[in-house]
Amino acid sequence: MILELRQVKTNINQFRILEDITFAVPEGQVTVILGRNGAGKTTTLRSIMGLAPPARGQILLDGKALEGLPPHVIARKGVGFVPEDQAVFSALTVGENLRLAMRRRDKAAEARLAFVLDVFPDLKEKLTRKGGGLSGGQKQMLAIGRALVQDNRVLLVDEPSKGLAPIMVEKLAEALRLIRAQTTVVLVEQNFALASAVGGRYVIIDDGRTVREGVLSELEQDRELLRRYLGISTGQRGRAG
Amino acid sequence: MARFLRKPDSSEVRLPGAEDAGDYKEGPARTESPARTEPPAGTAAPHGRAKVPGLGRPGREVLLWVSGLPVLVVLILAVLPLLTSSYALFNLMDQILILGVFAMSYDILLGYTGIVSFGHVLFFGTGAYTVAIILKHTGPGLGFLLLAVFGTVLISLVISLVIGYLSLRVKDVYYAMITLAFAELFAIIAEKWRGATNGADGFSFRIPHFLEDPILFYYFILVFAVLTVILVRRFIHSPTGRVLLSIRENEKRAEFLGYNVIRFKLISTLVAGVVAGLAGIAWALQQAFVSTGVMATDKTIDALLITTIGGSGTLYGAFIGSGLTNFASDRLSSLAEHYPLLQRWHLIFGLLYILIVLFFPGGILGFFRGKRAGKGARGYRTGLQKGQR
Amino acid sequence: MGMATFINLTVNGLSTGMMIFLLASGLSLIFGLMGVLNFAHGSLFMLGGYTGVVVFAHSGSFILALVSAMLVGVSVGWVVERLTVRRVYGNAIAQILITTGVMIVLNELVKAVFGPDIIATPVPPLLAGSWAIGSVILIKYRLFTLAVGLVVAVTVHLLLTKTRLGMVVRAGVENPEMVQALGINIRQVFSLVFAFGAALAALGGVMMAPAVGAVNPDMGLQNQMLAFIVVVIGGMGSFLGSALGSILVGLAGAYTAWFLPEASLAVNVLLMAVVLLLRPNGLFGMGGE
Repeated sequence: MILELRQVKTNINQFRILEDITFAVPEGQVTVILGRNGAGKTTTLRSIMGLAPPARGQILLDGKALEGLPPHVIARKGVGFVPEDQAVFSALTVGENLRLAMRRRDKAAEARLAFVLDVFPDLKEKLTRKGGGLSGGQKQMLAIGRALVQDNRVLLVDEPSKGLAPIMVEKLAEALRLIRAQTTVVLVEQNFALASAVGGRYVIIDDGRTVREGVLSELEQDRELLRRYLGISTGQRGRAG
Repeated sequence: MARFLRKPDSSEVRLPGAEDAGDYKEGPARTESPARTEPPAGTAAPHGRAKVPGLGRPGREVLLWVSGLPVLVVLILAVLPLLTSSYALFNLMDQILILGVFAMSYDILLGYTGIVSFGHVLFFGTGAYTVAIILKHTGPGLGFLLLAVFGTVLISLVISLVIGYLSLRVKDVYYAMITLAFAELFAIIAEKWRGATNGADGFSFRIPHFLEDPILFYYFILVFAVLTVILVRRFIHSPTGRVLLSIRENEKRAEFLGYNVIRFKLISTLVAGVVAGLAGIAWALQQAFVSTGVMATDKTIDALLITTIGGSGTLYGAFIGSGLTNFASDRLSSLAEHYPLLQRWHLIFGLLYILIVLFFPGGILGFFRGKRAGKGARGYRTGLQKGQR
Repeated sequence: MGMATFINLTVNGLSTGMMIFLLASGLSLIFGLMGVLNFAHGSLFMLGGYTGVVVFAHSGSFILALVSAMLVGVSVGWVVERLTVRRVYGNAIAQILITTGVMIVLNELVKAVFGPDIIATPVPPLLAGSWAIGSVILIKYRLFTLAVGLVVAVTVHLLLTKTRLGMVVRAGVENPEMVQALGINIRQVFSLVFAFGAALAALGGVMMAPAVGAVNPDMGLQNQMLAFIVVVIGGMGSFLGSALGSILVGLAGAYTAWFLPEASLAVNVLLMAVVLLLRPNGLFGMGGE
């Protein structure tokens, strides 16, 4: 298990958001975090990243503790973050956004940059465009591309399909499939179709607690579970690609 | 059931530092209760009756303080004239009390609402000039004094409304700058409008006859101080005052609970402004003289120092701070002849102030009340909640 | 108002604007990047002025005075950031309170060492005097300040746009969290920017001293007020904004002073109020609600 969370409790501004988060992420797959709005999925990612430091509990990367470390140290240990709002720097160009993410300008980094530009040809075209001038889908590509440039062991991705047109969601799924070959991905997604298209394992979080984890393909059969914890009824499955 | 009112989004927590994790090392109790008593999302905001967590019980606290130390202090102050007849001492006590009231009015903003204003002296100065100008032109009658009081209250209300409307809709830092700009503007007007104010030279005027006796004046000021303290305390402990406290603790949460934050801040500004204006009147009467000094930003900074050192958010802290600084400056002035560095007692207070802001935000009073636990520089919580971006 | 007077006023206004710019740009960057409103910034300006006085008196070299002022600015800024500002990031009220405390302490220290009265600072002989072009009189020192201001502006602009550090600062002004998430220790950048801003402020102070003819312990607060107005108008965090805002404020002050000397501050306060009402983020601001 490349990443493990044990009984993580996290507070934000006097609110107890995460009560008890415990799960493990196997290497080389996409693990999907599922749950309703407000369950604590984003906070879980932010806790791993050190942006919402846990009050209690442990977060282990390759067995070594992450909790309590400042975010930039955690990032350097090989954890990449693609937040919900993409956090693309609008004042910087696409090229600058990517170069900012590169920690060393060596051959390996250049190779990764080339890889990213291959995966997202749109970005290649718009290298000198300011981040603020990109479309929603392009911003998402840039955010993911930034994380990819970094040679991360684990990539935390927060609701990438939000607000994207169905075609873009397709492209996103493709990109994620390509990525998972090289990097473990922890994906928060409400779009269950996308999740099942790329995901291997799942974790369900409800009210700040981990409720279930398991293999994603098995989950699709369990309508009751889907309805109860994700608010997905039969009719909604299979929407949007 | 929703555990909180909204999903925290990444833009709200700007920079996680040790302070975030540190806060919660103090144990779950502090964080558990707010989450539990939080009304579920979607509840309509009751007007002034929502239970605002973390404020404690008003009843008990009021009783404790009414029957405790402050009453003793007032009694001692009341019998002071029987123990001594030093006019210099009465002078000093007058200043301590008047500036204490002024600092207390500042505490309404800083300690109870969480607003940092750099323009507070303009209310003080306006009060001082109002009474001075009226009494100069009409004569030292009691009726005119009352007219001046009434006029000051009115003017303070108007100014608060105007400045409040312009400045309160913006963030803390802009507010601090705008209020400073307004204060500077008033100071310039005071200096340039020689016809009314005689500029930097100032002018003296005659005060009502019954106030000319130092001992009577001292009692007058004592009664004034006690009355204002009682009034302000009632305000603080009223439902409106409670809302102000909740705004100080967490402005966004207060907004979500349905309170019109700006309106409450405006009320706070009005009350603080009026009290400051009254303090200005008292000051002018005590000196029987006004000059541009009453409009100087220095006085706002003094109020800040006094309130913080004495203990912000306590009301009484303002008097402790005022007593300390005025007593010190009085005593140190004579010592300063021998040790020039002591002339800059402001320096010492400045350093003390920094230490207090960093490590003992409860100030002197807070220290003795044992409020240190759970504070630290994060005692000023509003900044984090507002989300700088 | 004849053409000659107009040019005169314009040059004066621009030159004052440049010196305010030195103060305001640091303030704006520090706030934009770190969310810290540095109420002690004016004190750094004042320290620069006083340092210049001392160094110039002992060495006779204005260049040395400029350099040492900047060095003092960097050092004091660095120390202030490490000791006080660093502890209160993310906490707006505490920042205002702490930096105000630093301002008080620095001001009092200067008063203790130099006394509360003004100290005259004449223009260095090399830069004194003026050129006459037709009926237009150009004061050499004013042109010098303009030149220095321009050099600084261009240098900082290049630093911001062409260096990696500049990239980090620009990104950090928008979203410091994400910069951290990319593995960059933004706190170190904060310290650097704070110290750099302090150096600029000190440079502003030492440049301003000969222009007004004296230094006094209150010069920090007075000019800080103007710098605040510039930052509000130009927008927090925007270098370009603070440049344009400074020009605007400098010119407005100069032109108004010619008609009605008392009103120059009032005009600038009015400008600020208008901008705040219409565009609370300033003309180019990015931080804000």
